Amino acid sequence: MTGTETHVPAGRDRRPDPLDDGSGVAAVALREVTKRFPGAGRKGGDDEVIAVDGVQLDIADGEFFSLLGPSGCGKTTTLRLIGGFEFPTAGSVRIFGDEMALEPPNKRPVNTVFQSYALFPHMTIEDNVGFGLKMQGVEHDERTQRVAEMIELVQLGGREKRRPRQLSGGQQQRVALARALVNHPKVLLLDEPLGALDLKLRQTMQLELKQLQERVGITFVYVTHDQDEALTMSDRIGVMDGGRVLQVGSPKDIYDRPRTRFVADFIGDSNFLALTIDTSGAAHLPDGSMVRVDGDHAAGSTVTAALRPESIGLHGHDVPHRDDLDTLDAEVERVTYLGKARAYQVRTAGTGGAVRLDVRQGNAPGSQHFEVGEQVRARWMPDSLTVLDD
Amino acid sequence: MSMTNAPVREPTDEPSEPAPEGAGGPGLEHREERARARRGLLIGLPSLVYLVLLFAVPLGIVLVYSFATRSRTGRTILGDWSLDAYGRLIDSLVLEIFLRSVWLAVVSTVICLVLAYPFAYYLATRSARSRAILLVLVMIPFWSNFLVRTYAWRVLLGSDGPLVGLLEGVGVEDLRLLFTPFAIVLGLVYGFLPFMILPLYASIERIDFSLVEAARDLYGTGWQAFRTVTWPLSRPGVIAGSILVFIPSFGAYVTPEILGGSKTTMLGSYVVRQFLSARDWPFGSALSFAILAVMLVAAMVYFRTGGKSL
Repeated sequence: MTGTETHVPAGRDRRPDPLDDGSGVAAVALREVTKRFPGAGRKGGDDEVIAVDGVQLDIADGEFFSLLGPSGCGKTTTLRLIGGFEFPTAGSVRIFGDEMALEPPNKRPVNTVFQSYALFPHMTIEDNVGFGLKMQGVEHDERTQRVAEMIELVQLGGREKRRPRQLSGGQQQRVALARALVNHPKVLLLDEPLGALDLKLRQTMQLELKQLQERVGITFVYVTHDQDEALTMSDRIGVMDGGRVLQVGSPKDIYDRPRTRFVADFIGDSNFLALTIDTSGAAHLPDGSMVRVDGDHAAGSTVTAALRPESIGLHGHDVPHRDDLDTLDAEVERVTYLGKARAYQVRTAGTGGAVRLDVRQGNAPGSQHFEVGEQVRARWMPDSLTVLDD
Repeated sequence: MSMTNAPVREPTDEPSEPAPEGAGGPGLEHREERARARRGLLIGLPSLVYLVLLFAVPLGIVLVYSFATRSRTGRTILGDWSLDAYGRLIDSLVLEIFLRSVWLAVVSTVICLVLAYPFAYYLATRSARSRAILLVLVMIPFWSNFLVRTYAWRVLLGSDGPLVGLLEGVGVEDLRLLFTPFAIVLGLVYGFLPFMILPLYASIERIDFSLVEAARDLYGTGWQAFRTVTWPLSRPGVIAGSILVFIPSFGAYVTPEILGGSKTTMLGSYVVRQFLSARDWPFGSALSFAILAVMLVAAMVYFRTGGKSL
């Protein structure tokens, strides 16, 4: 593969899938969880909204789990159901084995980092961080000590007496983290905590958050619509859309093996190829060329496969064929310079219909570039073509 | 700097720096500033004239009168200046009326607060549509005359009115509601409740309810979340509403006059009596200024506590 631009560091999928191994109880287990909100109109009207629709989810102890999806996909509602800010219409919410679906937030061993931090504006940083301990009736001396330690941990020493307003966005974010973590929750819920920060700070905080999570060993459930954030930080990701969890897996799984068109499209970019399976089981593109696909598919059926633009290598038309790569000959239709890469659109000229492919080629020194109208040969490894369920 | 990229005057609140020499003509920014100040004065002029003529001048006249003396026949003698009128403020009768006024105003304010807070909270947490309807309902009483509405209470509370009849029906005897402190407080609460509801609503509505969720998330019960988050954050509304109810209650005239008896005189009625029946204008003026002082103190309390918090 040339020009690969993957978001996934190696060795990400080291943790076992908790749905598969029977050992230990899940930190959070959602079973058939549904949440309906009454519509804006009359009571009992048919305009009610199904925010979460029969969600099944197991989040392992110590895991950094992200719920990823577009706005309105139900990820925040799912988080709020775990936190106790919403009660499910149906289903079960278990936290370390205890049924919590109808418990109020103060009865749950979880804490939340809110989207806009929700720091108490009328309290000092110290009082904000100590709030949870105070409510739990922790003795003054122990409280002071734990608050001081936590403020030190998030590097806000010396700012104890300030008000939230007097801190920068990044610092407020740390206060929100400290305020939650000081209670030693069993699960920490984070609702797009980096959304309000600018790009550079967000990237720094992503790293810090991940390191912090590894240090404290607490299960993190992280809601985001930012795929880079989810891919960078998570042990596992649950991709949501329309109130359902479409796919759960490691970042590498999700990225390399999307199961549905939505997942392939929402995370990264994909070429969607319509494949026809012939009687011998071989898959054909509309232009007649043959490609290799995984799995058995019924003869005569049509399937859709996803292929990442960066999984495709573009070469001169005279590059020799290789047995381990699938090849398409095409003509460059469009070139877009993206800075770190070039985006090509190429078009095959086969017997049936034309096939268009988006290709992403890195700009490293020595990499080949092509102009519009040039004949090229596109190649990819067969296993980077993923047949989708829908 | 060429004229093509000449200084674009930014609409900024910050004090503008003096324009560098030759940049789009000298003193351009200053002229702009002066023009803005002139426009401001022009816009404010009508209300300024109104306030000076109809508020500041009469107030000055009252102040002058408070230092005058009263002749035996009840004429006000200007020129014979003294502090006698102010000396009479510490008469035991005046003090009694003063304390009664403070007491009834405080009681009315507290009752208003207790009644208005839950309602304002309810109001602030409704959908935009229900809010609009409820707010109109709060304001509907203003559409009819205050005097008429107060007289209506006289009928309701009277000895042959429905309320007394109802209570006598369940065995309460020798009941008198009208012309009592109870009737005054009832009338004041009835009249001024909206003044408590509206500022409370405004301040509760501004509260970010994720703060309440945060308090619940951090192991606070519903009551604790209210006490530590909602209540302190709604304090500006509590203070504003309390001032808005206390001040008119303290100086109330219509309500105690119609619903109160001779034994429950409040300051407002007492002042009016000085001007009309006692014909003691200097004393009435001095009383007015004493009331003004109390209200100023109340307003200062507001600006000290409510003004700076948040």
